[in-house]
This record gives sequence, C-alpha cells and structure tokens, in this order.
Amino acid sequence: MIAQLRNASPRREAVFMAVAAVILIALPWIMPYIGGYRELATRILIWGIFALGFDILVGFTGYLSFGHAAFWGIGAYCSGYYLLHANANALVAILIGVAVATAVAILLGYLTLRRHGIYFAILTLAFAEMFYYAALAPLQDWTGGDNGLTGIRTPELFGVKLDGDEMHYFVAAWTLLAIYFARRIARSPFGLMLRAIKSNETRLQSTGVNVYRYKVTAFAISGLYAGLAGTLYALYETYVPTESLHWTTSGEVVIMSVIGGFGTLIGPMIGAGIVLYLENVLSASTEQWLLIQGLIFMFFVIFLPGGVMEGLQRLADWGRKRHESATEAEARGAAPKGASAPTAPLRQRSQKG
Amino acid sequence: MDIGSLALQLLTGLQIGAIYVLIALGLTLIFGTLGVANFAHGALFVIGGYLGWLISSTTGYWAAFILVPLILFGIGVILERGLIQFFYRRPVTDQILVTFGLALVIQEILRWIFGGSTKPFPPPTWALIPVDIGIGYYPPWRLIIVAVTIAIVVLLFLLLRYTRFGLVVRAGMHDPEMLRFLGINVTARFTLVFGFGALLAGIAGVIGGPTTAIYPEVGMAMLVPSFLVVVIGGMGSLPGAIIAGILMGEAVSLAVLLYPPISQVIVYIVAAVILLWRPRGLFGHKGVMG
Amino acid sequence: MALLDVGGVTKRFAGLTALDNVDLKVEAGSVHSIIGPNGAGKSTLLNVLTGSIKPDRGSVVFDGHGLVPLQPYEINQLGVARVFQSPEIFPELSLLDNVMVATFAARDGSYKLNLFEHPSRAGELRQFAEEVLVDVGLEEHLTMPAKHLSRGDKRRLELAVCLAHRPRLLLLDEPTAGMSQTETHSTVELLRKISATGMTKIIIEHDMEVVFSLSSRITVLHQGRVIADGPPAQIREDEAVQEAYLGGVHL
Repeated sequence: MIAQLRNASPRREAVFMAVAAVILIALPWIMPYIGGYRELATRILIWGIFALGFDILVGFTGYLSFGHAAFWGIGAYCSGYYLLHANANALVAILIGVAVATAVAILLGYLTLRRHGIYFAILTLAFAEMFYYAALAPLQDWTGGDNGLTGIRTPELFGVKLDGDEMHYFVAAWTLLAIYFARRIARSPFGLMLRAIKSNETRLQSTGVNVYRYKVTAFAISGLYAGLAGTLYALYETYVPTESLHWTTSGEVVIMSVIGGFGTLIGPMIGAGIVLYLENVLSASTEQWLLIQGLIFMFFVIFLPGGVMEGLQRLADWGRKRHESATEAEARGAAPKGASAPTAPLRQRSQKG
Repeated sequence: MDIGSLALQLLTGLQIGAIYVLIALGLTLIFGTLGVANFAHGALFVIGGYLGWLISSTTGYWAAFILVPLILFGIGVILERGLIQFFYRRPVTDQILVTFGLALVIQEILRWIFGGSTKPFPPPTWALIPVDIGIGYYPPWRLIIVAVTIAIVVLLFLLLRYTRFGLVVRAGMHDPEMLRFLGINVTARFTLVFGFGALLAGIAGVIGGPTTAIYPEVGMAMLVPSFLVVVIGGMGSLPGAIIAGILMGEAVSLAVLLYPPISQVIVYIVAAVILLWRPRGLFGHKGVMG
Repeated sequence: MALLDVGGVTKRFAGLTALDNVDLKVEAGSVHSIIGPNGAGKSTLLNVLTGSIKPDRGSVVFDGHGLVPLQPYEINQLGVARVFQSPEIFPELSLLDNVMVATFAARDGSYKLNLFEHPSRAGELRQFAEEVLVDVGLEEHLTMPAKHLSRGDKRRLELAVCLAHRPRLLLLDEPTAGMSQTETHSTVELLRKISATGMTKIIIEHDMEVVFSLSSRITVLHQGRVIADGPPAQIREDEAVQEAYLGGVHL
C-alpha cells in the first residue's frame, strides 16, 4: 500500500488530492441519502484527522498508544477555553490547542517511549487517565469539572461565523491539509525510518539511526494531529465534554484504525467513517451499539487484523487471480471453469507492486 | 491531625493497596509466564464484583467468597483456551488489541445484563460496625481485606516455591526459552496460570467490590492503576507488585487526608516520578522485559 | 596507530567471566579474524565493540574515539558496521528500501527532521543503493519485501545495508554459518572483493578454511582470554591454540 504511495507521480498525486477534495466537500450532501445527517460528515472528517495522525505513529512504527485522548482532549480544552474567555478567532484557538497538545505529546513521548510496546501501551493509557482525573477534580476551576466546558461561542474566521456548512468547509480544508502532509511524510526519508522501526529496531540502531528520537517525533506528530482534531471538535460542538480526555476516546480511535486498517493512512479515515456511520444508524434501533462495536472490533482483530483495507486487498487479489486463471483457461481452451487458480509466485507479484 | 487518625488512614492505604496487589499479582503472573499484557483483567475483576453481589444477596456472603473465585477460574480457563491461546504467536500489538476488545465486550455485556447504574454491594453487617483496634475505631471489613490479601500472598509464594506448577511458572518468568527445554506440557500450565490470574481478580472483586462500588466501568478504573503498580514494581516481578501496590494504596490514602482533589491523580504522579528515576521499575531487571 | 584499540576489556555475567582482560589491536586495512571454541566470548566482544553491551572494565578506542560510553547508533555513525550472526534486515521493507535506510542514515546522520523531502530528490542515493545491491549480487527483485529472500541472500542484503554506509570497520559475525559449500564459496569471494577496497574487517568464523584464506591476522579467544595473536602462519603452529581446540580441529 505504502510502497505504491511512495512511487506515485506528482500528477497522480494531484489527481488524488482533487478527488479527495471533491469527496470531502460532497459528503454532507451524500449523508442524508444513506441514513445519516449533514453534520455527521463533519464529525467523520474530524475523527478522520485524529485517526490519520494516529496511523503515522501506530501504523508506521508499530507502537500502539492507548492514550491519544490526552492530546485530543487537551487540544479541545485549550481552544475551548480560549473561545470561552478571549474571543471568537478560530485560527488562534486552533493554534493554541495544537501547540499545547504537541508540547504535551513531546513530554509524554520522552517518558513512555523508552521501552518496548507493552510498556508503552500501558503507560500511555495511564498518563491519559491522569489528565482525565486532573481535569475532573484538581483543575475543575478551568475545566468545568464534571460539566465540561459549556457555553462556548460560535467561532469565527475573518468575520464569518463557522456554523453548519461553513464549519464543514473549514474542517474539510484542514482535513485536506492533514491528508496532504501525512502522504508527504509517508513518502519522505522520515517515513521510511518509521517503517524501519516497525520492521527491525535492532538493525536500525546498528545502521546509525537514533531510533528513540524518531519515535518521539512520530509520537509528537500524531499528538499534533490528535490535538488539531480535538480543537476542531471543540469548535464544531461548541462544547468540551470530560469524555474528550477519557480512555474511551483513545479506545475509539484504536477501534476505528483497526477496522479501517493500520499503516494505510486512508484506512483509518475510512474506519472513522464506518464506525460513526454505523453508530448513527444502529443507535436508532438498539441500545447495545457499544457491544456491537466491540464485537465488530474483535472480529477484525481475530480474523482480519489488516482491517477493511486488507479485506479489499484480498478481494482484489482474488479477483485478479480469477481473471488470470480465466484468461489462461481461455487461452488453453480446454481447462474446465472453476479449476483452482495457480498461486502466483511471490516474486512475480512483487515485481508488479 | 493526630497520630491516631494518621495511623487509621495508613491502614486504609494498606487496604486500598491490597486490592491493587491482588489485581496486579494476577496481571504480572500472566504477563511473566504468557508474555501477554491482559487488558481484560479489570473486566474479570468486575465480573467478580457482580457475581459477588448476586450470590451474596441471594445465598450469602460466604458462598460468594467460595464460589466467585472458582467461577472466575473457570472463565479464565475458557478465555485462554477459546481465545488467548491463538494469540501467543501473533504480534504483541494484536495481543493487546484482543484483550482490550475483550474488556470492551465484557463491560458491555455486563451493562446489558445489570444496567449501567451502581450496584449496592454491602459486606456482611457485622463487618461494617467499627470496632476498637487500639488506635481508634475501624470497620472490620477493611481489616479482613488486608488479612485475606496477606493470606493469598503467602499461599501464592508457597505455591510457587514448593509445587511443580510453581517451578514451571518461575521458570517461565525467569526465562521463557527455558520452558521449552524442560519438556513439560507448557500449554496446560499456561491455561492454569491464566485461570489462576482470573481467580485472583475474582477474589479482588468479591472482597474489594464493597469498597469500590460495582458498575461496568469500574473495571478499567481499577485496571489502569493496577497496571501502573505492575510497571513501577518492575514488570514480571511479584515482590515488586506487592511493594508498589502498597505504595500506591498509601499514596492515595494520604492524598485523601491531605488534599482530596488529587486523590485520583496521585498514583500517576508517583508513577511518573518513579519511572523517571528508575525506568525499569523498582524491581525490574533486563531479563524479563528485554 | 591501530584503527581499533581494545585495552583490558572485562565483562562478567552473573558469575561467568565472558571477557577477561582482552586486548586487541586492529590495523587499518587488515582482515582480522577472531576464532575460538564456542563460548570463548567472541560474540560478547563484538557486542562490546558495537556498544550493545557495556564492559565492566577496559577501553575501546576507534580512530581516537572512546566507544564505551557511546550508543550503538553513535558507534555506527563513526564508521563501525556489523553483520549479525543471524541476518538482521528489515523483513517487511523492499530490498531497495533496506539499503535506502542506510544511505539516508549516512547522508543525514543519526537523526534529521526531513518530513517532507520528496522521493525524487533522492535519485542519486537511489542509484548508489542499487549499485551496492549489484555489488553484493542482488540485482533482481529490488522492490520485493526482503523477507522472501533465502537465508544466504538475506546475509548479502545485510552486507549491502552495512556497505551503503561506507564503514571504515566492518564486523562480520560468522558470515558463512549455515551456508552450503557454494554459498560459502561465493561469500568468501564477495568478502575478498570488499577487502580489495581496503576496508578493515573483523571476522568471527568457525570455518578454518575461510579464516586462513581471508585473514591477515588472527586472535584466538579461549574462555574469555586472548591465548594467541599473530599472523595466520604463526597461529597455525601455536601449541596453546591446538590445546584449546582439544585437537578436534586440525589447523
């Protein structure tokens, strides 16, 4: 997937971004036809940014964080606090939220990335919970405690109130930027280093690379994305619930990413769309949406750990194989239909990829 | 603040720590032998709490105390055979994801069955009336929790030191490679270890439930500090888990006394300080964590 | 002056002395073999040289730099590369990307925040990486994930990753272990070709034929001590060496 992405030509990249832009902008108009509502599209994009940044850390380096609620929540609280107490300037609110979230991410990265995966997963979970409980009691004068931050004014951009469709365009612009930069990072030497971390840290160390610093940087970038998504969420909801810092928020982005497919950038965004869409559709008819979500998640972890993207890939391979065997059979003119397709040798396949 | 109330508060810290210790011992046993960080361990604790509430309110508390750990052992065995065992050879990330998914599913099933509200799970009445213990009046229930935990810890150490099962577990915690050379049916022991860890979570649920209150999300609320106890004790170290557990319990308890708003944050602050000072935890060594 | 100067290195593991006051001088341009029975401390010595194990005592000086306090990646950046006993490559990355990691590390140092560099800018590096791959005999399937290679080819790829960094000292841990006769032969040829470039090498090897055909100097380790050190002809005659190998191997 990423290998293909690395080789894309500038023209193909421009086409990709143009198509992405059309889809992002058209989403609110599509939603009502498939059982959603217009604002659901905006929510999907915001969570999509979150999941996209999360993939730069988890999908590329293989370090699974259970604490990204911290950066989402801190971004949301900071920008919400600004809007509540200063003025309605959306850009300043975002800038403040993102800056604080990224700074905290660098700090937590230094603390949690010293050792391997299990340790990292536990510590990120723990420190995010620390922020949750801190917001709940000791900092309640600033965070509003249990109530969260309420009564946030509608943000403005150069005098235009960001509400409804305007808000969607605003979020869509950020989403496009987020996608563009994530793809640039994926293709850069930096992205290659991150994939090398996932593949073999020992080799990377012995190849003269300061693995720890790359990991902290990847963590900070994903924290920046999470912070951006969190600030947009606060702007969009004009409300910051305490759940923004809760582990369920971290869990949500993990679930979305797994369902979509880690390491593919676009997959986790699709995962965000699937989860939010299903939640919207199923919540109407059942109270057990969270149980269903948990079961879907388990299904993917057990049977299709590469998520929807892996599923699509397998379907494509299967389809191509069928096509190949069909044309072969035609060429020979004798073989019966449905004969088992010869498995394509790995080398042949990889030469194409 | 007088000495007496400080002493009582320290005793409460010991009791809070005892529950952390019971959960953390199960976590560290499972991690040390199977190499799996069990994110569903808090969910097992809640199952223990709900079953304790159910059985004690119908049959009586003693029945709950005997039955709940046994049922949890059974649940642990089923989970290991039915799910966890297929993940030993999969990437660490998948192991974390599957136990996390399990935690979510168990939590939601419990919510479905019992509803989202808090269940009143009172201990037996006689255990609630404070008695004079020399330094002041204190509810016997909390003393019982400490006593049971001490008994469990002693039993656990005897089990690990003097039985063949214990030998395998210790060997596994010391050096997983070694197990393969011992020519023992490792699989069966793994199942037992997971079941045993679940049993400990069950005990924690049935004796700790009355102090923590029982609702679906309490599992994760207990899991996170317990995980921290395991990490700052040194992952895979049993004495480390015990000492760290007590330390955390006391930290919480003293925070309640001195500045209540930070009582839920203090464990994380203590953990951060310890990990900055000793990244491998108090009793961590290179062998177990790599 | 020697390129690498190891002085009095001692390392104990829980009661076992893996390295006991080891001295070693490796001259620039030489091919220096370290031999000895299993458990003699050869791999521990390599681990000390590359910084993954810190010695209890002693010094390691490479080209004027003390290596003991340095991290493995810093030691590599100074020009010390290592081929491991069981090939350490990036299994999920393509052959070309495996080598590209090393070329970027050589160009950018141990860390560089070049998040947005476009792949087209790395054309020259890519060409160089391809050349290195051709040098080690891997000119096909450059975009195939490395995990599909045979064991021998993985070793070649690892060698390419090391060479792409243009190291001044190359450490090889049993480069022919587990290889067939033909593979061994072609590996020896390859190593000889690299030696022709004047690159200094330390080789740990069990195959005495390989050792004596490549080495300009040999150090013999036994139970963590250096028991002999000298040119191949001298080692061949050394009685202590014969003794250490218990007569099992005729040098």
